[in-house]
Amino acid sequence: MLWWKAWRESRVRFLLIALTLSTLCAFAVLFESYIRQHQLPIPLAMRKGAYTEYIYNLIFAGTAKGMFAILVIFLGLGGLQRERAHNTVGFTLALPVSRLRVIGAQIAVGMIELATLVLIPTILIPGLSTLMHRSYPLALALHFSVLWFFGGLIIFATSFLLSVTTPGEYTAPVACYLALVGHTFVAAWRPLAPYRLHLMWIMGEFRSMGWDAAHNLLQPPPLSWLRMSVMALVASVLFSAALRVTDRQDF
Amino acid sequence: MMLLYKAWLESRVRFLLSFLAMAGLSVVFVFFNHDVRTVVTDHDVSYAEYIWNGIFKGQLREIYVVLALLLGMGGLDRERAYGTTGYTLALPVSRWRFIASRGIAGVIETAVLSFLPATLVPALSPFVHEFYSWGQALQFGVLWTIGGVLIFTMGFLASVLFSGEYSAAVAAMILLFAYSITADLPGVERYIVDIHDTMNGSGPHGFKTLAMISLTASAIIGLAGCITTKKDY
Repeated sequence: MLWWKAWRESRVRFLLIALTLSTLCAFAVLFESYIRQHQLPIPLAMRKGAYTEYIYNLIFAGTAKGMFAILVIFLGLGGLQRERAHNTVGFTLALPVSRLRVIGAQIAVGMIELATLVLIPTILIPGLSTLMHRSYPLALALHFSVLWFFGGLIIFATSFLLSVTTPGEYTAPVACYLALVGHTFVAAWRPLAPYRLHLMWIMGEFRSMGWDAAHNLLQPPPLSWLRMSVMALVASVLFSAALRVTDRQDF
Repeated sequence: MMLLYKAWLESRVRFLLSFLAMAGLSVVFVFFNHDVRTVVTDHDVSYAEYIWNGIFKGQLREIYVVLALLLGMGGLDRERAYGTTGYTLALPVSRWRFIASRGIAGVIETAVLSFLPATLVPALSPFVHEFYSWGQALQFGVLWTIGGVLIFTMGFLASVLFSGEYSAAVAAMILLFAYSITADLPGVERYIVDIHDTMNGSGPHGFKTLAMISLTASAIIGLAGCITTKKDY
């Protein structure tokens, strides 16, 4: 029942984000020639590149990735603080379950929604490409899904923690967006740049893609599971902090 | 005046966070220009070009756009969720005046944010032995204000149309993305001004264009007012 409650609270946001991502992926594949011809947001030098490069520049490292990162902030907004403002926190806390279970259900549902969102390009891009007599390897799309999931998980966890700790309905998304922006500046700073802490770089395999021997397929390096584990650990710490704060809050 | 104060109280945390971020990032762009220059551009550029690439056209402008959009959130629909609409509507003023107060407060906040980089950059540049023209910076301040107000009104309209929690913000963000892509489409660009190009000075930014953008922004606030007066709370 708690899962159902969490889903009801977040479904409009989730469906809007899913619809947008789907539209963008479908637009990129179905209108490829139009986009290439009319200089839509692809770097000038890459407009005549291979299909994988085109998809990479528009979806997995381009507009779709940026949009996904910003919209995930809104997916992560949750917690009981929000219910306090709506005067429904009393009803939720009166349920015979611990606060941890209420919050845990919100996190779990959010993670499932996040996983579903990252699978949208993986399903749509190779699927629609076939319809257009093009080919996009499923393994390549899955590679980016994994990166988007772990990158998105950190953004989701940060947003969740901020929504638990900050008052005001729109303070948390503004603070989370600024944190995301701040992190990109710090991570791109020359002494830190070699460590690749930049979430957007990780999610888009920035400057680490390479061509196959025939120069047909733009390929990423193998997934660094160590990096993914560290990202999952960071997200877990943020979730734990959110749980701890909620547990001690006086409603 | 009291309604303006109410609108300010509702948006001040968002505004102050945005203010601090815009001011902080402007300072970072100027004082750490040698470090940030490599992040903003791939090659050696002049100080003025770097400032344009990083601030008036690039990252800071994008941040400003998102913040202006989020400043547009709020209003009676949000109050309905909080159960305070009754108190607000019981005040002896028309709904139009609520909308106007929120609109005015938002426009002032958006203008203040837009003039932050425009004043900080030329003022701070001499401290790093660089120069940036006041005239040019203030010109960007005006372009940002007019563009920012239009983006603010997109958020404003979304907050009137969508009553679900955070749905307005998500919808406004999607609306902005859709607008940005549509405005770039060949054929469409003749009929819709690309506000991003206008703000960074690379698109049309004559008096006529700016007047049209301001008129559109006023019309959107008017539309939001019409919808609000007809809504049943």
